[in-house]
Amino acid sequence: MARTLAMFTDVSLCIGCRACQVACKQWNQLAPEEPEWTGTYQNHHHFTDKSYRLVRFFEETDDKGQIKQWHMMSDVCKHCAQAGCLEACPTGAIYRTEYGTVNINQDICNGCRYCVSACPFGVVAFNHDTGTATKCTFCNDRIHNGLGPACAKACPTQSIKFGFRDELAVVAKKRVDELKTLGYKDARLYGEDTAGDLGGLNAFFLLLGKPSIYGLPEKPKLPQKNVVVDSLLSIGSALIVGLGALVAFRGRGGQGDA
Amino acid sequence: MEPGLLKSADWPALIDVYFFLGGMAGGAFVIATVANLLDRERYREIVRIGYYVAFLAVIPGPVLLTVDLGLPTRFLHMLMVAKPSDAIGMDAITIGPFHLKPFSPMNAGAWALLGFSLFAFLAALDVFLEDRGGRSMRTLRAVVGLIGGFFGLFLAAYPGVLLGATARPLFIGAHWLGALFLAIGASTGGAATAFVLSLSGGQRGDALSRLMRFTAFALIVQLAALALFMLTVSTSGSAGIARSLSHLVAGPYGVPFWLGAVVIGIVVPLALQFAGVIRKTAPAMTALVAVLILVGGFIVKYVIIAAGQAT
Repeated sequence: MARTLAMFTDVSLCIGCRACQVACKQWNQLAPEEPEWTGTYQNHHHFTDKSYRLVRFFEETDDKGQIKQWHMMSDVCKHCAQAGCLEACPTGAIYRTEYGTVNINQDICNGCRYCVSACPFGVVAFNHDTGTATKCTFCNDRIHNGLGPACAKACPTQSIKFGFRDELAVVAKKRVDELKTLGYKDARLYGEDTAGDLGGLNAFFLLLGKPSIYGLPEKPKLPQKNVVVDSLLSIGSALIVGLGALVAFRGRGGQGDA
Repeated sequence: MEPGLLKSADWPALIDVYFFLGGMAGGAFVIATVANLLDRERYREIVRIGYYVAFLAVIPGPVLLTVDLGLPTRFLHMLMVAKPSDAIGMDAITIGPFHLKPFSPMNAGAWALLGFSLFAFLAALDVFLEDRGGRSMRTLRAVVGLIGGFFGLFLAAYPGVLLGATARPLFIGAHWLGALFLAIGASTGGAATAFVLSLSGGQRGDALSRLMRFTAFALIVQLAALALFMLTVSTSGSAGIARSLSHLVAGPYGVPFWLGAVVIGIVVPLALQFAGVIRKTAPAMTALVAVLILVGGFIVKYVIIAAGQAT
């Protein structure tokens, strides 16, 4: 595998201009959509089959319900090192590229939608026009030609950075220290640690507070981690039921007792 | 988990119909196999009906699944792909154009459905030929029964494991859905066989009462697995998960859950069984109990899947 590529989104630099969202739509030729009223500048509520980038807006409130701080975060597919969508995919349409990113092969996907419900971040969306699942590819065509994703290119504040994962991790850690000295005590990285949840996210974030402020799960879990335990319990249930059948049907004829 | 972040596959009710029929088919097949191995002559009718029910119930499965796909012409992609196994997931195996992904219950389930369909066909063909006066080969039927029985158990349980391997709040903290679905397969498989047997009037000796005794036992396992499912979900600690559970037991699905899945599907049939109504009264009463179990078995799967997808 080639060196892992990654995206580092620093929310402390995001100004909510949504240039990334527009650049993504333009490069990937994603059709326009009916706007949704979400109560903020955010449009739409979720990632859609035509919005692979989504700038989220959050109002952090204090105990009295007064607005404490505004947060903006440009959200994207995390290209998880352990990806729920990829593991769920029954067809093998979802695959890992040589750069460690996760793509959906549109020629293989058959539209079962299992990946949609298996993503811990609600990224994958179903396209009713093509009958397939879609999501961000890190601009697969661009990165294979040394251009970098459209969103990162368009970002005017360099809130979105793209590059080799190991190099970006160094930059990210330095930035956290810098912010802490500036008084942002709660600044932290989300998904940078490759020993952490989901084996690390190849799109990781610098957040200014708890992940829940940004609507992100505190501890995202790979859904397929349930498969072994669930299967063992199913086997246990099968043994009990099988034993019950043996007892019920065994023995000489006569009056059965309930 | 933040429920607002996640998306649902929005599987329609026809997927629930498949899960129900597949579980029932697997259950009926396993019961027929056990009965066949223990006493082929005494349980002749249970074996016949069980294998027929299994075959007829599994036929719509592939059709329902294919219709639901975004691109139905690509249904074979469930089993075939041309990619290196290390690019498509944990422990994936590729042999020629085929692939098996043990951590993708949908992929494993597609293989199980294929295997079960084949053996259900062979078993049904065997009893059909026997009905027509042909001779059934004892060993062959036993082998078909055992291999098909394995696939049948898999077919009954895997939809529960499949749901457990999604990020939906109601499912990600639960561990008992596979066990629950297997028990539902056993109870509904027994009920379907008992329903046909009681109406056909072809029962010999105590075969029907033994079948109903097993069905009652499966219902108790079903009740226990349902309770354990709810217990693991409610103790998993996240506010989002607790919200989705309350959606199932107290929200829009509360009434069908308690009335349909628990009372009609489990409590009433068990009460009738233990009151001894079935042994002493007409086959019509057995048929009624069987229908209640079948209705309840569908409702419990339906409400769990609907509530899990809605929250």
